[in-house]
Parts: sequence; structure tokens; C-alpha cells
Amino acid sequence: MIDFIDVAVGTGGGVACERCHGSAMPAEYMATSELLGLITRAVADSRTVPGPNLALTGPEPFGHPDLPSLVAAAVDAGVSRLRIDTDASALRSQDNAAGVLAAGVRHFRFSLLGGSAGLHDVLAGAPGALDATLTGLDVLRGEVRAQGVTSCLSALVPICRHNLHDLPAIAAVAVEAGANAVLLRVDDPGCDLAAAVPWMTAACDTGVVNGVWAEIEGVPFCLAPDHALHVSDVLRARSGAKAPACRDCRLDELCGGGPVDASGDLLAVLAPPARAGDLAGAVSRARGSVGHDA
Amino acid sequence: MPETPLRCAMLALNSVGYRSLALGYLRAYAESDRKLAGRVAFQTLDLEVGLDPWWVAWRVLGLEPDVLGISVTCWNARAVYDVCRLVGAVRPECAIVLGGPEVGPIAAEVLAGHPEVHAVVRGEGEVTFAELLRAICAGGKAWRVDGLCVRKGQEIVSTPDRGLIEDLDSIPSPHLAGLIEALDGGAYLETYRGCPHRCAYCFEGKGYGRIRSFSDARIAAEIDALAGAPHVGSFSFIDPVFNLTPERLRTLCGMLVPHAAAGLRLHTIEVDIERIDDESAGLLRDAGVASVETGPQTVGKAALETCHRPFHADRFARGVEALRGAGISCECDLIVGIPGDDAYDFLAGLRLCLSLDPGVVQSSTLHVLPGTELWERAAELGLEFDREPPHEVIATSGVTFRDLRRAEVLASAVQRAYRARL
Repeated sequence: MIDFIDVAVGTGGGVACERCHGSAMPAEYMATSELLGLITRAVADSRTVPGPNLALTGPEPFGHPDLPSLVAAAVDAGVSRLRIDTDASALRSQDNAAGVLAAGVRHFRFSLLGGSAGLHDVLAGAPGALDATLTGLDVLRGEVRAQGVTSCLSALVPICRHNLHDLPAIAAVAVEAGANAVLLRVDDPGCDLAAAVPWMTAACDTGVVNGVWAEIEGVPFCLAPDHALHVSDVLRARSGAKAPACRDCRLDELCGGGPVDASGDLLAVLAPPARAGDLAGAVSRARGSVGHDA
Repeated sequence: MPETPLRCAMLALNSVGYRSLALGYLRAYAESDRKLAGRVAFQTLDLEVGLDPWWVAWRVLGLEPDVLGISVTCWNARAVYDVCRLVGAVRPECAIVLGGPEVGPIAAEVLAGHPEVHAVVRGEGEVTFAELLRAICAGGKAWRVDGLCVRKGQEIVSTPDRGLIEDLDSIPSPHLAGLIEALDGGAYLETYRGCPHRCAYCFEGKGYGRIRSFSDARIAAEIDALAGAPHVGSFSFIDPVFNLTPERLRTLCGMLVPHAAAGLRLHTIEVDIERIDDESAGLLRDAGVASVETGPQTVGKAALETCHRPFHADRFARGVEALRGAGISCECDLIVGIPGDDAYDFLAGLRLCLSLDPGVVQSSTLHVLPGTELWERAAELGLEFDREPPHEVIATSGVTFRDLRRAEVLASAVQRAYRARL
């Protein structure tokens, strides 16, 4: 419902499961002049309402030598909401936290791979990473209070076979870190979705009972029929591979489907939900693509 | 020997930063009653709803009241009942009288459930409460006072309904009488009673039916008094629809313009946004209106029909646009759990409001309030709600308990993301 235009400040870097993706490529940052042009054009071309909203992504934005200029360019271009996707370690510096808020950044997204340092650090391939993230977020929250601004923290949880059993604990850590939303994104084509869904839905429930919204990306409706709101795609469009069985489902047009691997193991468990027609109408209504009588 | 005045304590448990207009009216009217002159000594306790009821009872009992009048809403009812129980236990001779939208429509039920409460005022309270005080001063027989539900021995008796107060100006202004502390941002005015709408979930009109207005002279005097009060830079109106008619809007705005020019600001004025055009938005701007509050509450077709609410998305959007053009922030309100809606209807409403970028989007959970149509038709509509105040919806035929809670959390997250902006 509140969409951001992503502008990657470079390539490489980032927080991802090392067991799935191998060691991250070294971060390479784009030239400032090029980025300034991208940012200005992205904001100018945006027709998003409410907006325009811009996210600086890619390798750690705080690693870019001209981050203040990039933020200032977005603000000068008239951005309404500005997000930085960060591991938050740079926010351990109070000057950084204060400065970035004063410059106008209100949205922060951080990644969690595990609900404990033991798992997060191992999967990230960076000892001390979780502690650095949580400390940074703590400093940031203190600055938010000090400046009296409204900020929005969200957690991104890349799901893979190595952390799916830890999803409820990860959601709990996100809650504790002050997130007001958690995005659970399937990031492993080989992940057994049918086995993963109970962990994902448990993570959603952990969020909800703590007043924090959790959303699942990369799972078709039919695998989480009791958690349709969490996968319902009403917040924004998702993308994902589809199983052939999806073609027979009335939700096909609305559903992001799952990241089906080449072997098609998922096909065995996919079946259109019993009330697919009802759900299709409801989701269409929420997305505004179909009238009330659909 | 002059008789000892009856000690009447009046209690309200308000939202933080507010004072009770209801208590102000009740006291102003009773104090103007010549038959009560010198016979009743009033003390007002305007406290906050979050206070520990035991300490509220401490404050009340410190006044050693013979009568305790309490204004009850769905928000403070649980705390009020605690206070009643404590006061009743310590000072059983004190007549506890409740009134307000939470208790009036279910007066007999309240008396049956709370033996320490002596009487409940039904409907408009000013005249009834004053007459009840007269009856108490005269030694009893409250059951002869119209508009009450009262104990008569072991019985609970409902006396005949009381007619509406025809001339609202007969109620002295608590603002002009100095009975309400004028707090910056927390003071509010009422220019009329009743509501032109009949929304099934709402008790704003309090069953009064037709609109009755205070006189222009009275309204102007109250505006002048509040605007001229020390440290008051902003206040509000509690009228259900500020732009009731174009003529009235012009009149009210005309009264406010000189004060707005001097810096006065008005906030959370409730408007019928589908009747806001550029001209009326300009009037509101010139009157110092900084923010307005409006619907749509829901955009679901079935829910709109159930609630008797008209909604035209285009007119609604034009109203928001006109206000934005005038620099006025608009709070779009949504209710989750209205019968007829499913969770996706609620999300469609959220999506629509965000797409208009109104300034504030606020959602709340349906409260099935006593006296409303939804209260009466709950079973028929498949509406499960908490009979205990504040009467939140538990589940509907269209939304499960869990999905209602999910929708609440989702809406909260989206609203925060919307608010977090430059």
C-alpha cells in the first residue's frame, strides 16, 4: 500500500545466507554523480500515491562515501518517505543515527537471518553481526525518541532451509528490536515450502500477538489457507515462479506463487484452496482491481 | 439554623488533556436552578481515565459526598464501576447517580448489575439531574423524576421518558460560567445536539433525532471566551458534522475568522467530506481549521448498506483534494469489524484512503455501543461482541476473531509507515 522505489547504491555486499549463496561479493559502490541522477529521476518520475517514496538498497548504504549527498538529493527532489536498507551496524555511532534522522530518513529496513547470534552470525558469515545490528537499532531508537520524530523499522527475513526452523525466534527478535513490520521472504528455491509454512505461520502469529505485522512473500495461498491475510498480496505485488497447477486456480492472477524448483517437488502439495473463488474476489476488491460486485 | 447543603461530587474520567463538557453542563444547569440555590454544594473532579480507581475513590471519599454524579462512556465505564463499588462500600449513604451514553440506553441492566448505583439518568441529563437533586433535597422519591431508572425499594423502576430540551440556551454555558478549565488543545465547544445521519454503529446523535442548535449569540460568546482564554491557541468542536449546512458553515466560520487572524487554530473538526468543495475548504482555512476528521469508516458495499451510510468515492476524493489544496490535514477514519465487511473490504478502505494521501489515516475496531442499531441487531447480524465496556467486536459473520486481530495489527503497521514521512 506504501510502495518504495528501490535505488541500489552499488553491487555486492548485503546480508544473505552464506550457505545458500556463498560468500558475498565485495561491495562495489556506484559513482555519486550517477546515483544522484538516478535518485532525482526516480523521484521525479514517481506517480506513486502516497509518495514519492525511495529506498536506498544494495550493498550497505552507510558504506557509500557520499551517503549524505544521496539523502540530500532525495530530499531536495521532494521525496516523501526515504528508507535505508542497512545492517544497522553503522548506527551504533550516535552521530550517524542522529545525522541520518536529521537529514530526513524515517524508514529503516534491517535483515535477520537467525533469532540468535549463533545462527545469524554463522549464516551471515560475520561474527558479531547480530549484536552490531541490535546495538545499532537501539541507538537509532534512542535518537528517534530524542528528536521526537516518527520512524518506521522493518525487518527483512530471507528464508532458506537453514533458518526456517528459527523463524518464530527471528520474529521475536525483530519485535524486540522495535520493528513494526516483518517481511518473511523465501530466498531458497530448494526450500521445502510445505515443511516451511508451519514455521512461517508461527512467525506471523508471533508478530501479531506482539502487535507487529508479518508478511510472507513467495508462498502461494494454498499452502497457508488459515493465514491468507499474511500472504494475500494486498500490500503490494509479489513475484515468484508458479507451478503448472496454478493455472487452474482462480487465484492465479493474484497469487505470487512460490519459488518452485526445477524438480517440481512442490507440485504434489499444490491444490487450489476450497474457497478460491471467494478469496479471488476479496483480494481483487482489496487491490481495487475489481468492483464490489465481482 | 440554615440547613447543611447537600454535598454533590461530580466525577468524570477523561482522556488525557481533556475536561468533561457533560459535567460542565450538568453543574451549570443545576447551579442555575433557583430551587437548588444554597441547598447543594458542588465539587467537580475532572480526572483522567488511566488513574487507579482506588485513588479516584480516595479523592471522591475525601469530599464526603451525599450525591456522586458520574459521566460514563464506554472508555471509562470499567473504571467507573470500580469506583462505584469502592465508594458504595465505604460510604453506602452516598447516592451514586450515573449518566451518559454508556449507561443511559441500558439503564435497568446497569442498575441490576451494580447494586451500589442508585439511579441512572436516561438521555439528556441536565434537567433530570437537577430535578433528582431537588428530590433528594426534599427527602427522596426519585421515582417521581422523569428520565430516570431508579431503585424503589427492591425494585428497579423506569420513570417516563423526558422530552428533549427545546431551548438549548436554557442550559447556561459552562465556558462562560467558568466551570470548565480552558486547556490549550483540550477545550471543545458544542454548537448543536443531534445528528443528521443514522449510522448503525454510532451513538453520536444519542437518539435525540432532530437537530437542535444553540443560538448564534451563545456560540459566538463561547468562541470569544475560549479564544480569549489565557494560553489557549487551539480548541475543537464536538459537533458530529461541522458543515451541517452551507449557511451554518459560513456563519460559524465568520465567527472564527477574526480569531484565526490572531493565530487561533482549530483541530479535529468532523466534516461531511463529500460536501466539501473548494469554497467550503477555503472557509475552513480562513477560520483557522488545521485538521478535520471524517470517514469513510468503510467502503464495503454491504457494510455501508447495513450502516445506512452513503459513500461516493469520487466525491470523497474531491473533498480530500479540496482540503489538501487549502492546506488542511484530513484524518480519514476506518472501522474494522463492521458487519457486512470482510477483512479485504477493510483493506480496500485502507488502500483507498492511502491513495488519497489525506494526511492521517486512522483505523479503529468496531465498538458495539449501547443504544445503537448494531447493539439491537447484533444477533441477527451475526455480530459477536464483548458485553463488557468498551464493547469491542470479537468476530463477525464475515471476519474471524483471528483475522480481526490481524487486520488491527496490519492497519497499525501501515498507519505508522504512512506517518513516518518528511
